[in-house]
Amino acid sequence: MPLTRGMMAFLIVGLGFAALAQQSGSPPSPKSDQTGPSPSPPPSPAPARPQVDESALRYFASQGDTRRVDAEIARLRALYPDWTPPADLSQLVGGGAGGPVSDPEADRLWGLYTENRFSEARAAIAARQSADPQWKPPPDLVAALDVSEARRRLVNASDNNQWRTVLSIATETPALLTCANVDSLWRVAEAFAKTNQTNRARDVYTYLLTNCANPAERLGTLQKALTLLDGQQVTDLLRFERKGGDNPDDFSAIRDELARRRVEKASTDAKLTVSADDLAVVERLAEGETEPGNALLLGYYNYHRKNPEKALTWFKTALDRNGGPKAAEGYALALRELNRFVDAEAFAYEWRDKAPENMQVYLDVATALLSQDPPLKLSPNVVARIIPAVTKARFVNGAQALGWYSYNTDQFRTAREWFEVALSWKADDEPSAYGIALASQRLNDRSRFNAITAQWRSRSQRIADLADGISRDRGTPVTTQPIPQPNPVPAAPARPALTATEPPAVPESSPERSRRVEEFRVAAYDRAVLTQERQLQGSRRVVRSGGSARRACTATRDPSGLAPNAALTLGWCLMELNRPMEAVAAFDQAMRLGSPTVREEAAYGKSLAYLRKDLTGEAAVAAAQAPQTATRRTELSAAILAQRALAAYRDGRWVDVILALGERARIVPEQNDLMLLRGWSYFKLGRLNDAEKIFTAVHRTGFSEEASVGLNAIREITGQLHQY
Amino acid sequence: MKIISRYLSRSAIFMLFMVGLMAPAGSAPLEQLKITGFVSAADWEAYRTRFIDDSGRVIDNANGNISHSEGQGYGLLLAFAASDRLTFEKIWTFTYTEFLIRDDGLAVWKWDPSATPHVTDRNNATDGDILIAYALAKAGVGWQDQRYTQAAQKLAKAIGKAAIVKNSGFPFLLPGVKGFTQTDRPDGPVVNLSYWIFEAFPVLATLAPEYDWSAVWREGIVLLQQATASRTHLPADWMSIRNRTQPRTAEGFDPEFGYNSLRIPLYLLRAGMADMEWLKTLKQRWITDQEGVAVVNVVTGEIRERLTDQGYMALPAALACALDGTKVPESLKVFEPQFYYPASLYLLSLSLIGEKYPQCL
Repeated sequence: MPLTRGMMAFLIVGLGFAALAQQSGSPPSPKSDQTGPSPSPPPSPAPARPQVDESALRYFASQGDTRRVDAEIARLRALYPDWTPPADLSQLVGGGAGGPVSDPEADRLWGLYTENRFSEARAAIAARQSADPQWKPPPDLVAALDVSEARRRLVNASDNNQWRTVLSIATETPALLTCANVDSLWRVAEAFAKTNQTNRARDVYTYLLTNCANPAERLGTLQKALTLLDGQQVTDLLRFERKGGDNPDDFSAIRDELARRRVEKASTDAKLTVSADDLAVVERLAEGETEPGNALLLGYYNYHRKNPEKALTWFKTALDRNGGPKAAEGYALALRELNRFVDAEAFAYEWRDKAPENMQVYLDVATALLSQDPPLKLSPNVVARIIPAVTKARFVNGAQALGWYSYNTDQFRTAREWFEVALSWKADDEPSAYGIALASQRLNDRSRFNAITAQWRSRSQRIADLADGISRDRGTPVTTQPIPQPNPVPAAPARPALTATEPPAVPESSPERSRRVEEFRVAAYDRAVLTQERQLQGSRRVVRSGGSARRACTATRDPSGLAPNAALTLGWCLMELNRPMEAVAAFDQAMRLGSPTVREEAAYGKSLAYLRKDLTGEAAVAAAQAPQTATRRTELSAAILAQRALAAYRDGRWVDVILALGERARIVPEQNDLMLLRGWSYFKLGRLNDAEKIFTAVHRTGFSEEASVGLNAIREITGQLHQY
Repeated sequence: MKIISRYLSRSAIFMLFMVGLMAPAGSAPLEQLKITGFVSAADWEAYRTRFIDDSGRVIDNANGNISHSEGQGYGLLLAFAASDRLTFEKIWTFTYTEFLIRDDGLAVWKWDPSATPHVTDRNNATDGDILIAYALAKAGVGWQDQRYTQAAQKLAKAIGKAAIVKNSGFPFLLPGVKGFTQTDRPDGPVVNLSYWIFEAFPVLATLAPEYDWSAVWREGIVLLQQATASRTHLPADWMSIRNRTQPRTAEGFDPEFGYNSLRIPLYLLRAGMADMEWLKTLKQRWITDQEGVAVVNVVTGEIRERLTDQGYMALPAALACALDGTKVPESLKVFEPQFYYPASLYLLSLSLIGEKYPQCL
């Protein structure tokens, strides 16, 4: 019989309801006048306690109702801190030693109370009082009714989210706030939490964990806390776990849940880090269950940590556990991240109708599939099934991707239709307009070209440049927009009616001439690459501090422990060895810790390293990481732009070649090798007059053979008879 | 009193009301009902055993055996009328623990025994709140019980705070805190004139004098007069008072003088306003034209449903008695309750006759 289990002090104190605590002990107690917590001697046995009405306790004991006996003891303890329960409750049964004489009427009232028939108990009291105004109900019965009614109201109010009512009942009825009423305590805590007083909610849980003994209720307390407090507050509560004793706590499920939540949070926010322990917990949970939830969590966690292989495995597990659309979404994302675009499209296609998110992933994956550079060889039915999805969703990016895909497969009419469609879905979409302009140019459709460029030139520099024929070298920055993607690939049917492959727009000439022209065009590229590399080497030599470092860097080493100057030296050394990505790491280390001079040097080196890897975007970013001298700024900008032009040339993005070179020419004089690239780009764009001007200029200053090939090719096309 | 009041205008009624409030021991033109002692033990026993369970829950047996704040309020008032303190205490205990749980101190209005949690709509119904507060106030005085008086005062203040709002500067009663104001709905505010339990206002005014209950009373009369200026002279149960001088049926409600509004004459009579011209008009309709109590389309005058339960028949009987001294017909003398709502109306009507017009019995 759990009669002797530890009883609680007033929660009121623990809660900081201080002002209200005074109301609590309304039933008069001879000892309530005591000031301070001076310990009183243990009360002597039975006869010395007449001041505390134990009639309820006696009644419940006689009924064998241990739950109410416990509750009554708790209540009396709360009301009379100095009181201790009778050593032998059985003495009380039947009005035993020392107890008041049994009153049948009181027993009847207590009986109603015991059966939760509070209304009838109240009614019986009221009826007897009106019949006998002298009669007074047992004060403990009235108090017990007050508490029970308060508990019922508190439950009702809390069930209906009436939190202020819950809190006012709690403050008015401190006797309710004991370990005999853990459910009420939980509800009070919830009311605090729901009224933005989480610290108070935490205090209630703390009280409970400090004072209440039932292990199930203690664990339940933590579970309640999990739903209402933040992770740190719950973690703080774990210190109340009782390790030893008869009923030790086991809060490991709470710890697991906290770990799971941290991983869950991190699974959608790549900036958050979680401990290996937390990850291990969730992996253990995921491995030991048949539900998909934790596997899904781990899938997204790994996906957002650029670990798509692991992500894919977990998403697969989640799928196998009926993880449904969310798992499928993750699986498709992971495939895409693994650059398995064909698989991703095929998988996402199967799930596209399961949820809006799945359709979005399908559209994204399909767009990525179409946008690969160089373009992928796609089966016509894949392209065909993308079209209705893009059309139904009016997905602008998808329509554009179809446009570029068609453009790059020389289906300019189809391409333009897709750009027109994209523009009709999003009227202010510059890339669509740009696509229309380019495609119209390729189709030699002056009227549409003029119309679209006139409409857009004020809003888009690159469209204005297109309209101006670019030759003015306006030198404005190239906006980073989707760019046309080349290479012959199977036809993309834009719409069912438009599946026929179109004839190329550029006039054909004899295969022999074409071959030779092509050779020279490619040779121009190789020459320019060589020149560019030589220039980059030259830059390096100018700034490198000495040649002796070469040997020092042949072995791979981690730069993170190096001093700034050593890291800088290592960086240049690695550049010498043509290991630019390792050099980047070394330069980074130098930049982290170095003086302004070292930082400038390191940023410069890093920028060059990226240029070596043809990563012009990264190079530009690196160049901006530390202030550079004007000379270096110019040098780096020119190199970056030259690299961009080369990349565009290699990819056949002729317009971008011209734009990049135009920008470069604004800051440094243009070399002949790059001028040739510009000439061939004009040529490929069919802008023969511009090409002719360039080739003519080059012809006069060197590279005359290459320039002559270009001029002859133009002549052949235009039928002119000029001889160069 | 009858001679004076027959000629009273609205404003004069208000003045008398104010006099009544300020000098209750004086001429007392609108004397408060005593209520207690005017429901017989037998009638009460018939009502109590049918509609009130041991927990103190008043059961609307025509409505899926649900309970509501109105029912708890009627139950309390009638238990007081029957001098049944035991049952009053039961109903109060149930009302207190199950209904009076709202953060704003008002009662939730709907309680369903078959639902978990039992409260299925936690909005309030202001007439229920008023009835509960009024019954508690009467019982607190009648039985000298401070608990009742204190609870009545708390509730009266809560009503004043949450349910009395202004429309164009005139205070009126919101039927419920949520869903009826100008911001809650395009045609708001929306009112229900049968929620004006006029007899309660002077009592609540003594408990919560910081609210302008007399202005609420006045506005109820104004709105009733505006609403009965139509061809059929009948107010709709639910009315938009966005334009307060031209009340119209609220959106989404039938343009009906129905189960709600048919209580209005009873409340007017219980509050001592037997002189209202509209009551004569209604008597013409109910009795002279032999239409009886009916659910009527307020626009067309078309009758949708005739209500023949004894409880509804008691309403014209009370009206005829109050206006003409007509005797209560034999068919109404034995109480045969079937359903909670008309049974409540019966006891309210007959107890009124018993207290104020015993000559009609």
